[in-house]
Amino acid sequence: MILVIAEQREGKLNRATWEAIAAAQQLAGGMPISVVVPGASTGNIAQELASASVAEVLIAENAVLEPYTPDGYAAACRTIIEPANPTFVLFAHTYQTRDFAPLLAARMRKPLITDVTGINGTGADATFTRPMFQGKLAAQVKPQGGPPALVTVQIGAFRADAVQKGGSAPTKKVDVQIDAAAIRQKPEAPFREAKQAVDLGQAERIVAVGRGIKSQENIPLVEKLAKAMGAEVAASRPICDNGWLPMERQIGSSGQTVAPKLYVALGISGAIQHLVGMKGSRTIVAINKDAEAPIFEVADYGIVGDLFEIAPAIIAELEKP
Amino acid sequence: MPDGREPVPAELTTSTDRETLEVDVLIVGGGPAGLAAALRLSQLQHEKGGEPLSIAVLEKAREAGAHMLSGAVLDPSALRDLIPDFKEKGAPLAAEVRDEDVLFLTQSSTFAFPIIPPPLKNHGNYVISLNQFVRWLTSQVEAAGVDFFTGFAGQDILMDGATVRGVRTGDRGIDKHGAQKPTFEPGVDIVAKVTIFCDGVRGNLTKELLRRLELGDKDHPPQFAIGLKELWELPPDRLTAGTVIHTLGYPLKHEEFGGAFIYALPEGQVSLGFVIGLDYQDPLFDPHMAFNRFKQHPYVSKLLEGGQMIRYGAKALPEGGWNTVPRVYMDGGLIAGDAGNFLNSMRLKGIHLAMRTGMLAAETAFDAVRAGDTSRAALKAYKDRIDRSAVRDELYPVRNVHQAFGYGLLPGMAFAGLTVATHGWFPEDLHGHPGHERMKMLAWYYGSRNIDVAAPSNATTIDRKLTFDKVTNVHFSGTSHDEDQPAHLLVHTEVCSSICGPEYGHPCIRFCPANVYEISHDADGTPRLQINASNCVHCKTCDIMDPYQVITWVPPEDGGGPQYNGM
Repeated sequence: MILVIAEQREGKLNRATWEAIAAAQQLAGGMPISVVVPGASTGNIAQELASASVAEVLIAENAVLEPYTPDGYAAACRTIIEPANPTFVLFAHTYQTRDFAPLLAARMRKPLITDVTGINGTGADATFTRPMFQGKLAAQVKPQGGPPALVTVQIGAFRADAVQKGGSAPTKKVDVQIDAAAIRQKPEAPFREAKQAVDLGQAERIVAVGRGIKSQENIPLVEKLAKAMGAEVAASRPICDNGWLPMERQIGSSGQTVAPKLYVALGISGAIQHLVGMKGSRTIVAINKDAEAPIFEVADYGIVGDLFEIAPAIIAELEKP
Repeated sequence: MPDGREPVPAELTTSTDRETLEVDVLIVGGGPAGLAAALRLSQLQHEKGGEPLSIAVLEKAREAGAHMLSGAVLDPSALRDLIPDFKEKGAPLAAEVRDEDVLFLTQSSTFAFPIIPPPLKNHGNYVISLNQFVRWLTSQVEAAGVDFFTGFAGQDILMDGATVRGVRTGDRGIDKHGAQKPTFEPGVDIVAKVTIFCDGVRGNLTKELLRRLELGDKDHPPQFAIGLKELWELPPDRLTAGTVIHTLGYPLKHEEFGGAFIYALPEGQVSLGFVIGLDYQDPLFDPHMAFNRFKQHPYVSKLLEGGQMIRYGAKALPEGGWNTVPRVYMDGGLIAGDAGNFLNSMRLKGIHLAMRTGMLAAETAFDAVRAGDTSRAALKAYKDRIDRSAVRDELYPVRNVHQAFGYGLLPGMAFAGLTVATHGWFPEDLHGHPGHERMKMLAWYYGSRNIDVAAPSNATTIDRKLTFDKVTNVHFSGTSHDEDQPAHLLVHTEVCSSICGPEYGHPCIRFCPANVYEISHDADGTPRLQINASNCVHCKTCDIMDPYQVITWVPPEDGGGPQYNGM
């Protein structure tokens, strides 16, 4: 069987969980899939997830799981994984997973394959594709030392909307015994170091802007296009270096790595440092006046032209009733 | 000042929460010199017994060898003396030198030298990856029980008058505006009886020592070159491992000093590099473009056809030779390796000299600490050891050769031949000039000709297969820095927005091989320097070649920099 560990915060599901379920369905090859929802009070997340075509949804509630601690989550997952003895345990490769999955794997002495972008084959013999060297190379990995093998899947690598829905899987509560004294961390209240921190990894559509925008006065044009598209605004490095947009919106090797459904690159030449941060996007649209710009090598749709003509035209089209 | 930190003299900063670590010998820099020094100290400890000395090595890179870049062909003489059973201990000597060629390139042709000039004979030497070699050397040092601190750079020298007391490491957790982050940790004062400075070519601490203690000889200023290197994977059987090729000529002009190297490693890997003297005259010259042009030469492009560039790096090298070695001993301090300009530019080799001087510094430091006298007079024994060693035997006869190349390629080669024939006899030593002073102003170099300062004078096509733009190359250097820290390049930017444009056309944007410097223009047209410090590959070229000498390289925090795996 395959276990999928869902992620929630304050009763709200992290949508990357759907991507992990999609990966599990691709991997299963007939194996049953159980989804586990850990937390202190998970609301009706289990009911939400039960619409997927899975065998069951397990609610693993325990008061000590609030607030989140790596010790608490590692212990909770371990008490569920070990008796179930699944072939694979899947996680979305979120910040939270990155925090506790290595601990869990080390405690269980089981293999951990992180940031998986593809699954080859199905069932116990499947191999996994994961990036190496900042995405320059991809490695095929076959877990050894399992079962179970712990696998985290890269955000955006599997399509949340590809999850097979199967009506209503049964949900049930499972008993999670955790020794509260074994939790060594005492988290303070969460805070954001930067105001209005944005997690671009969650965005389905992104409009990214580069040097071609020329000056700060033109940034509102980008914001307007993003608004019309229901997209987040992002940028390449020079824009953030100039302070025209905050650093947290920078895409690339020194910023965030994203893989939205739609990525519109406005006036971005496509230096390799930028490409590694966005080339996993499902559909890439590039608008650039230089036909030789490397961004066109990764773009699905390219428009060679002046963004100051093209962006307003797109906005006008989108704003038509 | 918005563009960087003013260096704060160590004695003026407060030290409320600062930790102090006391050791007998502190070695700054975990390259061949520093590691050889550390290993030699622990060997002496073993041989002579007695109260053990405490030894610490600081290395600015996050892991051993990460910032190491060289061709490299290793002369194993010093290694053999330091670790006689180096082969049994698994020294990663990739390939013994087999075939050698020296070629002269013209724009479209190749002429082989009929004989290999004696200094370029490499029989008995090894083609190595310096990164792998240094990682191995580090494992030997750690096995000997020496404390090796990676990710810690020396930021300031602790001095008491003219006496070196140790080194202060950099603060961590400072944001880009200079404010303390929640992760702030002040640097540590490491106090030592003897500090051995092995901080490499144009080391930031050695530079400061030279200035404060006036250790250099004004008639013989140090001379530097920049080396650019790519590691390529070629189809099998293109070159036999151990093949060593050097080239002269194209694409450099008569007045420019330099050449290329092609060293074949096992498994189809080839180290390909280009070295250019940082004393060129044309302010619009771009060393990185020269490297691209070299690769476009028919001989080279044919060699690389079907291959793939997998790594990139750049680093300056000290080429001035024996007469540019400063006074390498002082109260409480010694200088070894590239930091002391111990490199033989005629043989294109410095690793063995770095190791040898590191070993001699270790022997001197050991005796001094044991005798309880680490004064300048006691540490002068280091200079005496060097004078009796193979270092002088090798460097003294060729002491004038690099300076002779200052008169052009042909006079330089003629002089080099004469030197070999006479074993270095010459009535009077040739003086040198700081390389940056040889760069001409635009008006002087180009006169009234119409020039485009936006492009390098040696610009060529970039196809991202054979030739690369700097930004793409930087990606292949594996360089990363924490973005939220002050720029580690301190620049007096008022020069950039006033006189530099008209006088030199902002040469920093060309001599930097990593696209650290860019000029943008404010709304009123005033040029403004943008420093992309996180691209910096720590080559030190800007610190050396800037014509106004207004750029100072200081170590970034937390081990940032290139990742020269396999280079």
